[in-house]
Amino acid sequence: MKRFFSLIKASMTEGMNLFKISTKKNSKFTKIGLPIFLSLVLMGIMYLYADAMMEQFAPVNMHFVVLTLFIILTSVMTVIEGIYKSGSLLFNCKDDNLLLSLPIKRSTVLFIRVFKFYVFELIYNSVFLLPSMIVYAEYVKPGIVYYIVSIVGLIIFPIIPILISCIIGTIITFFASKFKGKNFVQTVITVILLLGVMFFSYNSDNLLANLAKNASSINDFITKLYYPAGAYIELITKFNAIKFIEFIGINLGLFIITIFIIGRVYFNINSSVKSIKRSKSNKNYKIKTLTPMRALIKKEFNRFINSPVFVTNAGFGLVLFIIGCILISIKFNNISDMFTQKNINISLEMITSHLPTLFMGFICFTSFMTSITSSMISIEGKSFSILKSLPIKPCKIIKAKVLTALLIMLPCILIGDMVVFITFKFDLLSIVLILVASVLLPLIAETIGIIINLKYPRMDAKNDTEVVKQSMSSTISVFIGMVMIGITIFLLYKALEAGISNIAIMLIFIGIYAVIYFGLEVFLHKTGDKSFENIIV
Amino acid sequence: MIEIKNVTKKYGNNVALKDVSFNVNDGEIFAFIGHNGAGKTTLIKAIVGIHKFDEGDILINGKSIKSEPVECKKEMAFVPDNPELYEQMKAIDFINFICDIYEVPQDVREKNIKKYAKMFEIEDKLNDTIESFSHGMKQKIALISALAHDPKILIMDEPFVGLDPKAVFDVKEIMNEMIKEGKIIFFSTHILDVAEKLCSRVAIIKRGELVKVGNMQEIKGDKSLEKVFLELEGE
Repeated sequence: MKRFFSLIKASMTEGMNLFKISTKKNSKFTKIGLPIFLSLVLMGIMYLYADAMMEQFAPVNMHFVVLTLFIILTSVMTVIEGIYKSGSLLFNCKDDNLLLSLPIKRSTVLFIRVFKFYVFELIYNSVFLLPSMIVYAEYVKPGIVYYIVSIVGLIIFPIIPILISCIIGTIITFFASKFKGKNFVQTVITVILLLGVMFFSYNSDNLLANLAKNASSINDFITKLYYPAGAYIELITKFNAIKFIEFIGINLGLFIITIFIIGRVYFNINSSVKSIKRSKSNKNYKIKTLTPMRALIKKEFNRFINSPVFVTNAGFGLVLFIIGCILISIKFNNISDMFTQKNINISLEMITSHLPTLFMGFICFTSFMTSITSSMISIEGKSFSILKSLPIKPCKIIKAKVLTALLIMLPCILIGDMVVFITFKFDLLSIVLILVASVLLPLIAETIGIIINLKYPRMDAKNDTEVVKQSMSSTISVFIGMVMIGITIFLLYKALEAGISNIAIMLIFIGIYAVIYFGLEVFLHKTGDKSFENIIV
Repeated sequence: MIEIKNVTKKYGNNVALKDVSFNVNDGEIFAFIGHNGAGKTTLIKAIVGIHKFDEGDILINGKSIKSEPVECKKEMAFVPDNPELYEQMKAIDFINFICDIYEVPQDVREKNIKKYAKMFEIEDKLNDTIESFSHGMKQKIALISALAHDPKILIMDEPFVGLDPKAVFDVKEIMNEMIKEGKIIFFSTHILDVAEKLCSRVAIIKRGELVKVGNMQEIKGDKSLEKVFLELEGE
């Protein structure tokens, strides 16, 4: 047992170094304070959101609905994220050789991997769930049982979502490992699956209606929809010790059974993932000459497309943008209905007449949620020393990374633009301004991303997931993106309300963005090379 | 010529290199030896521009690595001890990438890649991705990419680790060939027999301080290099 805890401790020390920053000067604030600050800000936003929802449900004495919604949404988010995280968190890890050579059971190795995954999700889930639980306590003033059940609930809620994503991730990895280009196959299957999940969610009205029809009460409906949420609500409203033990037992039992089942195939799949399918002996290799910049871009692109988690993280938003543009074009009335409900002060006429401006907001959302460069330095890992030893200025390497990100993003954004332009027949000036925004916004997002990654690199990650999803750089980047989106949408709304014309709004925003970009470019020019050289591998 | 002038490098309070000074002349094979953690890799990384250093300077053919890093790096090639290459790239693409950055003309790279790939018996593996390679094969790819641009100075950190005997022999041959052309080979090693037979000069580093530097014959006298090294380390 002591050995087991030593392994867990070692694994956690390595893997949980979520915000490890390898720049020269590590202040206590950036090491500990900044992650805590960002988490608190996010929790504050969730608190406000939960409180606003509670105001709607409290008068009808249905406080628990807020908790249910938060639990279900967090669980769905964990499953979706977990599907593309699990592949690289469970398989082909850099410490496989070390752990597998130690005198420990192989199932212990799998347990450590899943447990590490669980602890990450527990932290993320807590950031989203805890505020809603606090809001509930403020409104309902429950007894001590609520707090006990909620603490146990917080610990238990991530279990089923991560088990689902582990099973799906294992199946995807198993199929992908049969192919030579397994990374590419894994990426394609994951994206298709995620789109399938979204399609299913979009068309799940019938299923939900059927469930609701057959459910004798709201709580029964919730239990049928998602057992942990239903069981938890039942326990906090009508505590029953046996049901409480049942709640814990079912979740832990599922955890053990799933580990056992995956354990039966895990090591075969892991070996298969590690075994490289070499091409047949072939002396006909191509020697091609490229300019240094094109060579750097090719290298960056190669790294990007060979990382399923990197592609899925960035590509998913871009694919959704295109799908969103198609949906706007073919189902405009349904989507505009969502915004013209009585609680939102937007009219259909306003949406139709200001579509170019609103579409620019959509481009802004996609750009800031797709930060590729925020991982592009960290993803180099130990091979970063190759770049540092090459006779090329750091600013060119940085530029190549930003250009690669733009080359990935721009085609998708432009495809979306074209679909909307053709459908809604925008005037020429609007088209030109949207095209300018389509270049400028990703450029700002990617410049911010590279600045953050240069400031907060993570060069010792065990896998790509740690870089793309669990690093300080990607967290800050998402946070800044959310702030930029929030400010933009708020200002767009205010400008529309004030009756400013489309063209004027777009011109003002493009002007502001151009100034922001200019400022960022100057900052990057001044500090980029130095930050690059300060990164220690 | 490499001129290392009073180089000091600190990691926080820990002094990794303390006032290190010596020169490596054209046409020399220079061995740099020391225990694990003595500061060999730190100095090598400082020479090739990977690590910054706190005091002193390093001149590569008269140019400072601090003020003219790109110009200095153009003259050099570096082979690291643990070749952390771009795993997802095909071997040939990696070599091409390095050649592109060094702006090696097509005819020169074709000649060199073919020559060294054949020498290291890896021609039929160049279309494979690097992740499928063993440590030794990666080391061969790192060597080919370093040699493909005809560097004037070849800097290697433990170049023989992981290489098969034939490849070790080939590397030694390449080194001898290069010094005949007046080029510089500077490498760290723990294989003292090789250093003794191959090198004209040697430097011994201990806990970040240079304890001996000079002509191989002067340093070892009648003893073996191994014996001299162990005596110095014991002091």
